[in-house]
Amino acid sequence: MSISEAMQSAARDVLASGQVQRVIGYETGPHGRVRPAIIDRPEEAERLVWSADCTHNLTVYLHRALTGENGRASREAVAPPARVAIVVKPCDSRAINVLLAEHQFSREQVFAIGMACEGMRQGAPASAPEATLQARCLRCRERVPVVHDVLLGEPPSALPEALPDEALAHVRDLPPAERAAFWLSQFDRCIRCYACRQACPMCNCPTCLFEQEDALWVGMRIAPSEKRTFHLGRALHLAGRCVGCNECERVCPMGIPIGLLNRHLAETVESLYGHRAGMQPVLSPVTGMLSAEESAP
Amino acid sequence: MSTADGADPMYPLLGRLVSSRDMGREIKLLGVKLLNGTQPRFPAYAPGQFAFLSAFGIGEAPFGLASTTERGEVLEFAVQRLGSVTTGLHELAEGDALGVRGPLGNTFPMEAFQHKNLLVLGGGIGGAPLRPVIHSVLDHRQDYGQLTILWAARHPSLLIFRDEYESWRAAPHTELHLTVDEADAAWDHHVGLMTDLVRQVAPSAANTVAITCGPPIMIYHVDKLLSELGFAPEQRYVTLEARMHCGLGKCGRCNMGELLVCRDGPVFSMAQVGNFLESYL
Amino acid sequence: MKTLSRENLNLWLDGLAAQHALIAPHLEAPGVFYRPVQRAQEIAWEAGRPVLSAKEFLFPPSERLLKVEKRGPDVRLEASPSAAPQVIFGLRPCDARGIRVLDTAFVDTPPIDSRYASRRENTLLVGLACRSMGASCFCTAVGLAPDDPRDMDVMFSDRGATLAVQALTPRGEALIANLPLVEELGEVEPASRREVGGLPTAEAWKESYSDARWAKHGERCLSCRLCAYVCPTCRCYDVRDEALPSPPGEAHFERLRAWDSCMREGYRLTAGGHNPRAASGSRLRNRLLCKFVYYPHQYGPAACTGCGRCLDACPVNLDLLEIGGALQEAAQ
Repeated sequence: MSISEAMQSAARDVLASGQVQRVIGYETGPHGRVRPAIIDRPEEAERLVWSADCTHNLTVYLHRALTGENGRASREAVAPPARVAIVVKPCDSRAINVLLAEHQFSREQVFAIGMACEGMRQGAPASAPEATLQARCLRCRERVPVVHDVLLGEPPSALPEALPDEALAHVRDLPPAERAAFWLSQFDRCIRCYACRQACPMCNCPTCLFEQEDALWVGMRIAPSEKRTFHLGRALHLAGRCVGCNECERVCPMGIPIGLLNRHLAETVESLYGHRAGMQPVLSPVTGMLSAEESAP
Repeated sequence: MSTADGADPMYPLLGRLVSSRDMGREIKLLGVKLLNGTQPRFPAYAPGQFAFLSAFGIGEAPFGLASTTERGEVLEFAVQRLGSVTTGLHELAEGDALGVRGPLGNTFPMEAFQHKNLLVLGGGIGGAPLRPVIHSVLDHRQDYGQLTILWAARHPSLLIFRDEYESWRAAPHTELHLTVDEADAAWDHHVGLMTDLVRQVAPSAANTVAITCGPPIMIYHVDKLLSELGFAPEQRYVTLEARMHCGLGKCGRCNMGELLVCRDGPVFSMAQVGNFLESYL
Repeated sequence: MKTLSRENLNLWLDGLAAQHALIAPHLEAPGVFYRPVQRAQEIAWEAGRPVLSAKEFLFPPSERLLKVEKRGPDVRLEASPSAAPQVIFGLRPCDARGIRVLDTAFVDTPPIDSRYASRRENTLLVGLACRSMGASCFCTAVGLAPDDPRDMDVMFSDRGATLAVQALTPRGEALIANLPLVEELGEVEPASRREVGGLPTAEAWKESYSDARWAKHGERCLSCRLCAYVCPTCRCYDVRDEALPSPPGEAHFERLRAWDSCMREGYRLTAGGHNPRAASGSRLRNRLLCKFVYYPHQYGPAACTGCGRCLDACPVNLDLLEIGGALQEAAQ
């Protein structure tokens, strides 16, 4: 049985048995592009696929799938599913831990179909078959999701030597003034579409700080000052939480190396606090929690 | 934006707040006069139209014109404090400058309503754009048939224009019925939703036009009920609000299906709206 | 046909850039974008369609509508200055059509949007025909063609050492009047075109309103708004006052407008908390119906030029041709 077939079988089973009411996985669109698929019925399981084009981080759908916000085109309320199955790669699975630590949902609500991952190709979700693996995959040290209820595929017995992160080394070694100039010039290309934020599972504030109508922190202008504040602020908010799925960088139409900035902060948090996002369902040490008593005036 | 004479229709006229009085819980009735020498003058307007008020430094928002040209020069707006612009307007002192842009939108077809009975249903702050209809009818009483006003709010403190109820009731062939969802100790009128009040009043649809304004959910249910009571779509009018930013049919925001609330409305007959109303809820 | 040598074209473009703003396709790290250029050398010739449309040069991502100065209870308003002249060169037919579509809302339908009108009056559209259609292009599905000159002032067709030129408007004729054009025999070779079908009629789109699949399509949507930001015709905007540095005793603001999109979750959220399009499927449906039903109803043309950017940009492969095709099948 191929891995795709094993995945289809697993999805069919959990839906048919009523263990879950919804499965979030991948399918191939009519033009050969892999995309997320959200299915409710066992018969739909045959749509699911697994390949080196499955680059999306599907955990971005978890919260809204579990609150019934999804699957609507009107104000009719839809009863949220009690449990959702989701296909996760090792990087995606770490996002589940981050979201669990932040009480976005409970462990019982998620059935993780873990994939032993051999990496995603450059150009995914519509890569050429001969394309090399993405740089992030060549650097990756995980092959087995840290959260899984079932594991599909064979993890390798030994890992190849990891590709060094040259881009990060370069940025890290720049003198502060040059590094600042580099990043600020990158942010200046931004068009404030917020696709990076929408694609990120960890960006889930009901109202984004950088888009508040009262413009308390950042105004509406699409101009350098606002763009820089957004990117720097978002990177700080993700420090210790980002799992390096690189969706932010993939979706950016302007080619801003957002993933690189997040990796730099992730490396900083790891070296200062020994914390790597999502290896366990624990909060990032850089995240503060305000209780009701603490925030009282 | 330019009008025929080249004026930019996004450019507000400068006015002064001449009166700001409490009308209910977090509701004020603002009176605005254009500054002396402001050109062009605020054009004559008719019931149904709205204008944008600018709380300079915060922004602008659309409000139904609650006054009539006939009754005076002061432009009146009922403003409920809900967000940043309405808070800014509430915090203005009498004498402060503010901006006015309008009149915008279409009007109630008052001529077509003549010699008909009118059923006016106002829920909460939604009563504000209906007040000019009531005033027009009262000021031309012979031209219209029976006037039945149903006025509702969640709580007595949210009923608007309370100081006018007596004058409304006193007019010939005019009835006023009140209801609140939740009463207070002093309340001795009907308690219940607008739809309950409609069922109690049991208005006849014969030669009658109904005009409704209120929260979207109230409009939806009242409209369904009026339909059941025999009011044909052409006999049911609504005036709608939507979040707007230009009021001129440019910014694209206020659409209800293919209709723009700012340009094709805010006054609609249900014959026009059809099942677009669902997309408004 | 009239032709111009490449050398003379570059000289002319250098001259234009010296006189007023010249905007042309320009290669940057992630791709080709329409950008102000100083010299013809900076133009990317072999590019397909640029990553973003040219609408930002008529309708900037954010711009000032007016300036507000408050002193105590008094207020003084100041209008914005009018636009400077600009020439957009290397414009693709789909992007020129995009500008024409925006014209119908901002200029042709009263009241005139004076910010847009000021830029439009001061802009010349100089197109460059596509020689073929890209993989995601579908201009032919909306009645356009890769070498359609209709919406330009001047159109160039690249033939290698020379380019064929045609003027489509009086302003275009004036623009090329002094160019050393050479009369050559023959016709411009038409671009290779691919017929793309599958778009339903406006009526079919409208009737699809209650189709249950909108909810399904919306499930995948991330509300990322990329489709609207890359689109040549999306034009919804937000308006707000924001503070400016002010002298003591005064408070200065500018009333801004900035790009917004109906795909944003809070787009129709009112201060009272009511949001008629809280469901992502309803937002997706609204955007596509706006393009093919609502915009034409209000202003005339469909708000889609078949450029295919939305197909490339969507991170989750929401494809209006696929969605439209399925609705058409259901209707039959």
